[in-house]
Amino acid sequence: MKLITAVVKPYKLDEVKTALQAFGVHGLTVNESSGYGRQRGHTEVYRGAEYTVDLVPKVRIELLAEDHDVEDLLNVIAKAAQTGKIGDGKIWVTPVETVVRVRTGERGAEAL
Amino acid sequence: MRFAQGREARSDEMDAWLAGLLGDVEGAALVAVGGYGRRQLSPGSDLDVVLLHDGSRGDPAVAELAESIWYPIWDAKVKLDHSVRTIAQARSVAQEDLAVVLGLLTARHVAGDPELTKALREVVLADWRKQAPRRLPELRALREERRAQHGELAYRLEGDLKECAGGLRDADSLRAIAASWIADVPHGDPEAAQGFLLDVRWVLHTRTGRAADRILLQEQDELAADLEFESADELMRAVSDAARTIDYACDVAWRRVEQALATRNRSSGISGLLRRGGNSAPPREPLADGVVKAEGEAALALAADLNDPVLPLRIASAAAQAGLPISPTSLERLAASPAVLPEPWPEHARAELLRLLGAGPGLIPVWEALDRTGILVRLLPEWERIRSLPQRNALHVHTVDRHIVQTVVHAAERTRRVDRADLLLAAALCHDLGKGLPGDHCATGAEIVGKLGVRLGFPAHDVATLVALTRHHLLFAELAVHRDPTDPATLAPLLAAAGESGTGPAEFVALLQLLTESDSQATGPAVWSTWRASLYRELGLRAQAVLAGEEQPSTQSSGHEEADRTLAGQAAAAPDGIAVQAVAPGSAGIGRIDVAIPDQVGALALVAGVLTLRHVRVLSAELSTAKAGETGYAVQRWTVAAEYGELPDLVRLRTDLRSARAGSLKIAERLATRDQERAAHHKQRPGTPAATVRLLPSASETATVLEVRAGDTPGLLHRIAAAIAGTGADIERARIATLGPQAVDVFYLTFGVGSETAVGSAVAEELMARVRAALN
Repeated sequence: MKLITAVVKPYKLDEVKTALQAFGVHGLTVNESSGYGRQRGHTEVYRGAEYTVDLVPKVRIELLAEDHDVEDLLNVIAKAAQTGKIGDGKIWVTPVETVVRVRTGERGAEAL
Repeated sequence: MRFAQGREARSDEMDAWLAGLLGDVEGAALVAVGGYGRRQLSPGSDLDVVLLHDGSRGDPAVAELAESIWYPIWDAKVKLDHSVRTIAQARSVAQEDLAVVLGLLTARHVAGDPELTKALREVVLADWRKQAPRRLPELRALREERRAQHGELAYRLEGDLKECAGGLRDADSLRAIAASWIADVPHGDPEAAQGFLLDVRWVLHTRTGRAADRILLQEQDELAADLEFESADELMRAVSDAARTIDYACDVAWRRVEQALATRNRSSGISGLLRRGGNSAPPREPLADGVVKAEGEAALALAADLNDPVLPLRIASAAAQAGLPISPTSLERLAASPAVLPEPWPEHARAELLRLLGAGPGLIPVWEALDRTGILVRLLPEWERIRSLPQRNALHVHTVDRHIVQTVVHAAERTRRVDRADLLLAAALCHDLGKGLPGDHCATGAEIVGKLGVRLGFPAHDVATLVALTRHHLLFAELAVHRDPTDPATLAPLLAAAGESGTGPAEFVALLQLLTESDSQATGPAVWSTWRASLYRELGLRAQAVLAGEEQPSTQSSGHEEADRTLAGQAAAAPDGIAVQAVAPGSAGIGRIDVAIPDQVGALALVAGVLTLRHVRVLSAELSTAKAGETGYAVQRWTVAAEYGELPDLVRLRTDLRSARAGSLKIAERLATRDQERAAHHKQRPGTPAATVRLLPSASETATVLEVRAGDTPGLLHRIAAAIAGTGADIERARIATLGPQAVDVFYLTFGVGSETAVGSAVAEELMARVRAALN
């Protein structure tokens, strides 16, 4: 089982959600966040003062997935979130030892 | 500047690439600024680029042009610092942002319309010169901020080549000052120094594969080899020297700016007009014979006798006492003077030296100026060897030479506390002159001082005192921190050292104490604290009491008997037999926790283990026993600091102690697990010395003294105490001390009646073997 974390542009959230639902994902977590990458938050046309780094608003989406779904989910999210411009974000995968559904006590894949 | 060609070649390569990306466009130019503009690109450097345009395109077209240039650069993973501006926009931002204008001052045309770049350069330079009286003080303030935040490159163990005082940003600021046309800057040496630091930066980027600007300790050996130095020490010495050259040049340049701006202010306005009608020369105020104060500096008077060999010392002491820099012109004239002091020095020369040493913080810049101009080494040839000599341990903040000067400054604060202030200041100057030579620096330093003292003209008995102070300058700290002050054996070496001195023993002990305080304070915050000061004070008072013929308190008496009995009584009254209390926190989050538990072998290990589990750092421990009824209780006074946040709740501590005594809290297992996790994430630094375990036969009249020196890690004290408990020894007293990354723990042990514990005996060997095993 894996945790997929994606940091994407805020206005791409609906598109990503729709794509994930179409794939069959029924649950995810969304948080507001901010950050920057190699371009340090600067746009293509940047007139500001130097030596400043702006944190740019993002959304962070997390979802649990079974191992055999991970590759497809990465492609689904990347395609839905992409604009081709700087600041599109990143997705990463971390292993999960176990998961528990609080209401029923189910564990593992049954809790997904 | 070995890698200057590499830097220029890299810049040329980037130029060609960017020119290709821009293509053949009109009304636009790519302009290199900052380090790229100066053609000083290192492998990890950013590209600082401005896309300059004439405003004839609309925003979408400008964005499209910018995209076509920036995206290939980002995709190539080259770091880019970019902006898109018209000349008017660049000028406007430059007027508000100092960092922008400093970058634009080095603007260099890369591609596109060269007339645009030329126009930008002209308008930025013109604005900079016009606004210099307002902008230069801002630049100076930036320099002071950098110094406060990053320290001085010359003295940092792992300095930042760019941001530290004396680093690359300071070197760049000289160019900005020169461009302002307000004042000229020193040339030659600072440029060579900057070139050297750029070379170091080039190799650092190449070796580490990242845009690092700090020379970390673990990288210094390899960097030294890459730059063809014999050792890391030689490399860091060269870095220190380069940084001091740049720092000194900046000091001189900024003083010239200050004087130039002051002259402008005097000459301007109505009062300036009036002054110009009369004598407008700045006033010169006498400071000493042949020395005047002029324009904020100490300078040679017009009638100064350059053949007077004491003149350099006189101007230096006058300047330091007045808190003034020495005029560079005066320094040049003194450096060129052939006058040499006779040997031994006459009394008035020695007096001027002592006045200089006693000046306090004003000494530092004056001493640096004397050193930079070669005057110091004519007076003190011993200084040549220790100039910029690095100290390869994390305890010392400064290089050897600067440490000595700092020690003198701190000694000057203490001169009221001793009769022979001259000997204190001289000892502070001499105490580390033995460093950098093979062998024990205290012994080699003593030899050097024996000759130096004679040359400086001190009488024989004063030379004997200086030699003794140098030879024993580490003794006082060693005894105060690592020995039980109540044990008569502790004072014996101190009193023996006093016998070597030419002054009375009480005066010698006072001098040694103050020298030790000054030395510790100059070393750095890892070594100097109120806790340490109190240990020094305690030892000093005890020594003076003994010398005054007062009876020393007995070994068993620590002055806490009544408090111990009270705490033991509380423990006896408690159902679990434990009492814990906290004394109000002292400075910097240090507090005291007192514990009483039933006296048994292993009591120290148990409490030490619980404290470690709760992330409490032990600074020192005093142990004793007290009876409540028929039961003996171990009473332990722990001086502690929290590893994170605040000290733990006492109720929690007590619960843990109870569980540990009952065996339900497995301290050893829990600490072992934590050690394993820690070892996975914290690699031991290369060059960390091995732990040492030794018995000290003459350190106590009543106990077997075991000393352990090891890297300070959580749980160390618990492991050592548990190992000692395994031999059945009773720990009567302990002195626990941490010195930066090193723990020095001293245990006063007693064994069963009749046990043979001399060094080499079976008991002693078993003890040492168990403790060594615990350290591994």
